[in-house]
Amino acid sequence: MGSHVVVLLVFSTLVSAVFAMLLREDGEGRLRFGVMAFGAFVLSAVVVGWLMHPFPS
Amino acid sequence: MATVVTETRRGAAIPACLFAWLLPGAGHLYLKRTVKGLAFLGAIGTLFVLGVAMDARLQMSLGLDDILASLFSLAQMAIGVPYFAARALGFEAGQVTSVTHEYGNTFTAVGGLLNILVILDAYDTAVGRKP
Repeated sequence: MGSHVVVLLVFSTLVSAVFAMLLREDGEGRLRFGVMAFGAFVLSAVVVGWLMHPFPS
Repeated sequence: MATVVTETRRGAAIPACLFAWLLPGAGHLYLKRTVKGLAFLGAIGTLFVLGVAMDARLQMSLGLDDILASLFSLAQMAIGVPYFAARALGFEAGQVTSVTHEYGNTFTAVGGLLNILVILDAYDTAVGRKP
């Protein structure tokens, strides 16, 4: 778990799974919502990381 | 007859919420929503275990002197027995110098916050608002 990307992927997977189970009742809906939420997590993290890139640490 | 069913369901709401707090997913297992219960137990349990493995701080901080620390502790405590078990097993201090310390804090706190949503879902299920 030393990689930032691996942590991001694991976190996104687990949280998306919980939200999918909470917010959708059928299997197909859960799968679709879970994939969308996962993609949104990863994409937003990459976009925010890219926007923060110019700032000095 | 409908009233009887509703009262029966309301009677199940309190134990369902209590079980859901004690162990993520246990409320749904109590309500015989096995798939949901196991999914919550697996996902939230994994979040918490990984958080502890990543050196999260589990120290209890309740009071008004540091509101954010209190909210953080409450979020972690919402995961129920696993939080107190991990503290009892000596994982409460975490390791601030660890690279993954903040990740661990995030994993454990988010696990607890998700469990609050799961508790509310168990209540809705128990009173018949959700299937």
